[in-house]
Amino acid sequence: MNSKFRDLLFINALAVLMGLMVSGIVLLFLGENPFYVYATMVQSITSDRYIMAEIFVKTAPLILTSLAFGFAFQANLFNIGAQGQFYVGALIAVSSSLFLQDKLPGVIALVVVFLLTLLGGGLWGAFIGYAKAKYQASEFLVSMMSTYVALAFMNYFLRTFLLETKGEYPQTDPLNPSVWLGILVPNTRLHVGFILSILIAVGIYVLLFKTALGYRIRVVGHNADAAKMAGINEKKIMVITFVISGALAALAGFIEVNGVQHMLVQRFSPGVGAAGIGIAILANAHPIGIIFASILFGALQVGGVMLGQTMGIPSSFVEIMQGSVMIFVIASYFVREQLEKRREKRKLKKVVAA
Amino acid sequence: MTSFLARALMLSTPLLFGATAEVFAQRSGVMITAIEGVFVMGAWAGFVGSYLSGSHLVGLLFAMLAGLLTAALHGWICVYLGQQQVVTGTAINILALGVVAFFHRVIFGVPISPLQVVPLAKIDIPLLSSIPFLGPIFFQQNILTYLMYLMVPVAFFILFRTSIGLSIRSTGENPEAVDVAGINVKRIRFSMVLLAGLVGGLAGSFYSIGYLGMFTTNIIGGRGWIAFAICFLGNWNPIGVLIGTLVFGLAEAVAILMQSSGTGLFPNEFFIALPYIITIILTITRKSFNVPASLGIPYNKEN
Repeated sequence: MNSKFRDLLFINALAVLMGLMVSGIVLLFLGENPFYVYATMVQSITSDRYIMAEIFVKTAPLILTSLAFGFAFQANLFNIGAQGQFYVGALIAVSSSLFLQDKLPGVIALVVVFLLTLLGGGLWGAFIGYAKAKYQASEFLVSMMSTYVALAFMNYFLRTFLLETKGEYPQTDPLNPSVWLGILVPNTRLHVGFILSILIAVGIYVLLFKTALGYRIRVVGHNADAAKMAGINEKKIMVITFVISGALAALAGFIEVNGVQHMLVQRFSPGVGAAGIGIAILANAHPIGIIFASILFGALQVGGVMLGQTMGIPSSFVEIMQGSVMIFVIASYFVREQLEKRREKRKLKKVVAA
Repeated sequence: MTSFLARALMLSTPLLFGATAEVFAQRSGVMITAIEGVFVMGAWAGFVGSYLSGSHLVGLLFAMLAGLLTAALHGWICVYLGQQQVVTGTAINILALGVVAFFHRVIFGVPISPLQVVPLAKIDIPLLSSIPFLGPIFFQQNILTYLMYLMVPVAFFILFRTSIGLSIRSTGENPEAVDVAGINVKRIRFSMVLLAGLVGGLAGSFYSIGYLGMFTTNIIGGRGWIAFAICFLGNWNPIGVLIGTLVFGLAEAVAILMQSSGTGLFPNEFFIALPYIITIILTITRKSFNVPASLGIPYNKEN
């Protein structure tokens, strides 16, 4: 294990702990003992098989939205609109599932839905990437703004074409069990989507670090000028990166709709995009690291829900935990930079002395 | 018509505050990507201050203080620790939303009906307010909108006609040169972030106490990002920002009008999404940005 990686693990763990400690302070305002609350949280999420499985249910979409941000980040592009691409994916998944569920056998329908979701998210991403490549439009402005457009689209469809047969609430009819993603562990909600998201994370790792395209993407991210001189078509890379990034976030919508909700409702997982950014930062945008960081955020989210149920702690405590963990992790990059600098200096001194 | 234009002008106010705040910070090289969080904190603190004290002045002070603290965290990480501005902002936006929702609950519990304060009063300017047509639009507004009238010329003057403005702009264009000239780059940047926090907090409070007289956690709903976008679209110039802001204020007033009257021609959701669609179109079609050269790049002496 090299010293840089050791720093990363150790300092990140410390940052996460400090983030949780600091967010614990707000519990004092509720008259609760933070240590007791955290102990209860750990106990409640580890005591029961169903609840432990819930952690991984929450983890699955986070891995994908986080990959969406992290992948673009490798090309030095900011896709902060994963939330919108997630909505687009969910919308396509639910409408194509509703349309195909009576016409095709389950597995084939699922494959088609999967591909359509990829296509839709990819196109949505392509638009952002193309605007950046062709018109130098700031990608994070466009991606951020397109989230609100996607949300409006979703609300419109839920109120009109996709409105449930009863017509009571702005939500769709439930999907047929034939197009649900299979359950992995009996009597829990853990579904195949979790395995799928891990496989995709590994796939993205291979793509980024073992293929020529991945190499080009990272070169563009690391040094755009060098990329140009090496004859890499920077604009093409930008569009491709955003296509993949958008498709990843849209897939999160697919596995949430077909794996967990089995329908589409309003106010659907509103924090999944932003949490993805935090996770990518925690993992240094590394696809394999993202899996583990997602599990941490999944555990925090399930823990937050449990605290609400057992102790009446407001659900906003989850956001406080996630936000302060993110801030400490970002600040810890500074500490790591300093450690690295000091190590370099020491190396230099040794060389000079010898 | 007059009441419609008056409303458009009123709705422009917080956007102009926020976008002008961004202009100063970004001209010095720092993007306040935490602007959404600054707005939310300002909206909430403004409401809490007004509700608990019964005084709008206290509310506005609370809002400025909350905005200042939020921006200070952003500035400390981005300027002094030299970290990535976009991700820092995202983290702070999440945290701000959590803090606001959590403490709203701690202070007020779960009230049966939403808590309300009297919105800022409209002040009629004597004589001017009785000018036909223009009077009711421009001179029957609340104090923050009047402050907006002053903000554009003052901001323009400071930025382009004073030595302080020159230092700010140079810091964003060429921090090395500024450093050589003996000016502290980080201090200028951090001060601009703090200034943006003060003004941004005030902008946020407009949504709670200036207009609706109440607070909900989704009260800002991306308006901070719109202010951020207007700064880009307005070419980092207070005059450009003014034009951009009026367009968006108009779009928002149209949206409210359409939602309440409902022509049926377009769905409501279209008008809700309209400001965001306009931003996307403008971001793509607008050319010749004069982006501050070192925008978003942390400054380190050693490098």
